Amino acid sequence: MSRLPLRALFMLAWRNLWRNHRRTLIMLAAITVGVWAMIFMTALMRGMVDDMLLNGIRSLPGEVQIHDVFYRDDPSINNSMPPPGDALLQALRIPEVKAWTSRVRVPAVISSERDSRGVILLGVEPESETQVSFDLDNIREGRFLESASDRGIVIGAKLADRLETELGKRVVVMSQDPDNDIADRGFRIVGIYKAKLASLEEMYIYGGRETIQQMLKLGDRISEIAITGDDYRNVDRWYSTIEQAAGDAVKALPWYEADTYLGSMLAVMDGFVLVWIIVVFLALSFGLVNTLVMAVFERVREIGLMQALGMRPSSILYQILIESLLLLLIGLLLGNVIAVVTIIPLRDGIDISVVAEGMEMMGTSSMLYPALKVNDMIMANLIVIVLGLLTSILPSWRAATYDPIEALNKT
Amino acid sequence: MTITLHMAWRNLWRHKRRTWLTVGAMIFSNLILIFSISLQFGSYRMMIDNSLKSYTGHMQIQRAGYNEEPKMRSSIEAIIPLADTVRTQLGLDSVAARGVAFAMTSSEQRSYGLQIIGVEPDFEPKVSTLPGLVTRGRYFDDSDAEEIVIGAVLARNLRVDVGDELTLLGSGYDGSFAAGIVRVVGIFESGIADIDRNMAQMPIGYFQTLFGLGDRGHNIVINAPDVLQLAPVQQSVREVLRGYDGLVVLDWEQLQPGLKQAIQADFTSAWFMYGVLIILVAFSVLNTQLMSVLERTREFGVMMALGVKPTRLGGLVITETAVMSALGLTIGAVLGIVMTAYLSQAGFSYPGMEDMAERFNLPERMYPSLSIASIMIGPSVVFLFSLLASIYPAVRLYFLQPIAAMRAV
Amino acid sequence: MSSIVCKDLCKTFQQGDEIIAGLDHVSIEIEAGDFVCLSGPSGSGKTTLLNAMGGLDKPDSGQIKVGEIRVDELGKGPLADMRLHKIGFVFQAYNLIPVLTARENVEFVMQVRGEPADERSRRSHEILKEVGLQGMEDRRPAQLSGGQQQRVAVARAIVGKPALVLADEPTANLDSVTATQLMDLFVELNRNHNITFVIATHDIRVMAYAKRLIKMRDGKIISDEQQQSQHSNA
Repeated sequence: MSRLPLRALFMLAWRNLWRNHRRTLIMLAAITVGVWAMIFMTALMRGMVDDMLLNGIRSLPGEVQIHDVFYRDDPSINNSMPPPGDALLQALRIPEVKAWTSRVRVPAVISSERDSRGVILLGVEPESETQVSFDLDNIREGRFLESASDRGIVIGAKLADRLETELGKRVVVMSQDPDNDIADRGFRIVGIYKAKLASLEEMYIYGGRETIQQMLKLGDRISEIAITGDDYRNVDRWYSTIEQAAGDAVKALPWYEADTYLGSMLAVMDGFVLVWIIVVFLALSFGLVNTLVMAVFERVREIGLMQALGMRPSSILYQILIESLLLLLIGLLLGNVIAVVTIIPLRDGIDISVVAEGMEMMGTSSMLYPALKVNDMIMANLIVIVLGLLTSILPSWRAATYDPIEALNKT
Repeated sequence: MTITLHMAWRNLWRHKRRTWLTVGAMIFSNLILIFSISLQFGSYRMMIDNSLKSYTGHMQIQRAGYNEEPKMRSSIEAIIPLADTVRTQLGLDSVAARGVAFAMTSSEQRSYGLQIIGVEPDFEPKVSTLPGLVTRGRYFDDSDAEEIVIGAVLARNLRVDVGDELTLLGSGYDGSFAAGIVRVVGIFESGIADIDRNMAQMPIGYFQTLFGLGDRGHNIVINAPDVLQLAPVQQSVREVLRGYDGLVVLDWEQLQPGLKQAIQADFTSAWFMYGVLIILVAFSVLNTQLMSVLERTREFGVMMALGVKPTRLGGLVITETAVMSALGLTIGAVLGIVMTAYLSQAGFSYPGMEDMAERFNLPERMYPSLSIASIMIGPSVVFLFSLLASIYPAVRLYFLQPIAAMRAV
Repeated sequence: MSSIVCKDLCKTFQQGDEIIAGLDHVSIEIEAGDFVCLSGPSGSGKTTLLNAMGGLDKPDSGQIKVGEIRVDELGKGPLADMRLHKIGFVFQAYNLIPVLTARENVEFVMQVRGEPADERSRRSHEILKEVGLQGMEDRRPAQLSGGQQQRVAVARAIVGKPALVLADEPTANLDSVTATQLMDLFVELNRNHNITFVIATHDIRVMAYAKRLIKMRDGKIISDEQQQSQHSNA
């Protein structure tokens, strides 16, 4: 019996694991908790990052924006752009583009009977705007705009409060036309919205695009085109197509250049996540090394027996490694299952609205949404297996080469 | 008790590697926790300082209700004399009156809606860093001059420089139109995008005239000598306000709840992550102690046969954990202090911090701030949870039967 | 110094599908100061009887009295106390706490009982001398031979002046010479301190030492004889 076939080794390994099931269960628990910790924490942090980023992108709005080349420095009416031409319209039909909308965006002052405020006036096309940026669920009173020629105005709840006005009342919106003359117009408030970030409620007011274009004497010119795609992390793939089609008079910018803060935020947060994964992983490795080494040295007597029976050191080595592998695999399986089970109920978010206002400052909303990503799970699993096996090799090799008599006599 | 300690210590060293690995996990976690918490504290203090210094100040006197709904009409009458009174009563110079309004501001080429702040030229520099951040031109010296100071980004957007004129159009105190022309005398750069783009200041005398406020204003900013010792100053202010109807004094936590809550939110969410780390360590302890108890089943059986009660054996296990945890705590604390102390001098930053710095009012490097709290919070929780983890193995001993134990393999 | 009285003890064990009689209506009376051997093959019930006497194992039915105490009626706590104060145990192996030295092992029980330090020190020293381990007090079990370890176990068993010493196969791991030395020690202690000894064994050398030899088989007592101990001076 000097060399055992692999199947026999597996069987021996399996039964050995369960010979002392208490010990094995303890070790399994250690591995399981470690795996759970890594996956859970990664999901939590990814969720935060995704949430922050997606919110930011929706308020830009859009994963790609197209403006007049001067608009970024000076977002005023003088730097408007023409509506999309045929080439651009063609480019906008590529499958990666989920939705796009064109808007007018200018600074303005809104006045009620009681007060006035500096705001940003948006002239939008409701149907596409709601796909790219505005969330219809956010309408609290009244309605959103019904068409690009809607004559009403929609403002945020906070703004309505500040202006001491309400649904149905009239307000005056004042801005500048391309000739630098004041353009103003009265509107009736047809809808009031609430936003995840209350500061947005005070900033943005919505009117129909055509109505606003008329008011500002813009003709058919717009301020920007906002486009959403399917994956905010992979915008490079397609935005150059758009850029080329758009022509030289305008510039197409991916979101991470439009808002460099947001862009660097992603890099920083990803780095942050990585750091914490490493931290958890290191903490986990202490326990893992402990467990696996114990697993080997626990069984010195049995190893002595195997040697006495004539098993070759290499077979013994394989058997122990297989045991460690089995232990790791079961632990991984359990850890993954438990992680999924604990994360799914939290899909609707962990409510930390107690500190909601603060979270706004940080750019997230008051709920933490853990985000389970297959890639993260795979990575965590791989790391644990590789580390686990590496850790087992040394002690297994040591144990397999023990002197049999010594081994048999150990207590 | 000493024999228990004695035995606990020796038992730990029967399995050096196992004990060191478990203690190692504790040391590592403590290190991370001390550093991380110190870093958080350091950044919070900076956040607070910088936020308050540029505009809000430590506390403000306002009309009751103004904070929730800052309306032009919710004003303080005879604001400048009141500011004087406060100065005298408190013996502090860092007291400044302000007015707040909105106006559409136009240069030759552009218009923007802005927040206009009316300030006391002599005292505003004592409560805010903005006057000191004027990079072109100068700040004000005359309370009635028809002048304006704007942020650098705004100046760029309006295409104006020192010496140019701006037209202001807004609503006044009584709802009528307020209109005026002012000269740009200074341009400031605070580094805070919001301020540099949306705020303009003008001398309060002209401000009151322009917006038809008479002698009114909207808030009085007060900075105490030490931001951590606001209570006594606030109390004195309250006494001064007793003679005035409807006025209150608010501290920065009320003025910028977002700030305090941003801090709390950050701290809270960090604890989710710390929690995972601590669970890992506690589990490591649980694991080690369970194994250790399992291995000594026979030994414990003999001791019970001798008449030693299970509670005593349980106490032994808990003592062993306590000794390990104490080791982990001490060594972790020492290493944590050394590492954090070094970084609190050298500063710490990770890539991409510059943009973040702008938004959160942080400088480009972070300096962890070591304090008794930041040193003790993390490790104490680790210690506690480690002890808790040892309860299960200790309790299991209670159910041990001596004979069965002695026959165990 | 007390006597042991067992009346009609019964205990059964389950092993796999079978039910084995550990003790089958065993009754016995042992007098204070007696030197008794329980002998029989494995599974005869001698260990079970020993454990029952020592309060380590509860019989299914029957009575046990050690001195005036009804052992079968005691709860776990009082049983532990009884073992602490009144009974000394010596097992076949693994008697000692590995991390404590010989002296500390002996002092351990005294410490649990709450005796003061100087008293403990004095007595442990005395007892170790009596069992012939003078000079080895500061060695750990790993540094002692099998026989020396057993002596430490004996020292610990008697240092508290127990009424009774119960020994379960104490010589099983020892060579002839050492076994003899151990048994000589038992006899001396029995004579000098009048401690009752009950020893379970299947070693005939040990049986030769007994003043009273009780043979057991299949949970029953099959013979109970006084005999001339070959090595005592009693």
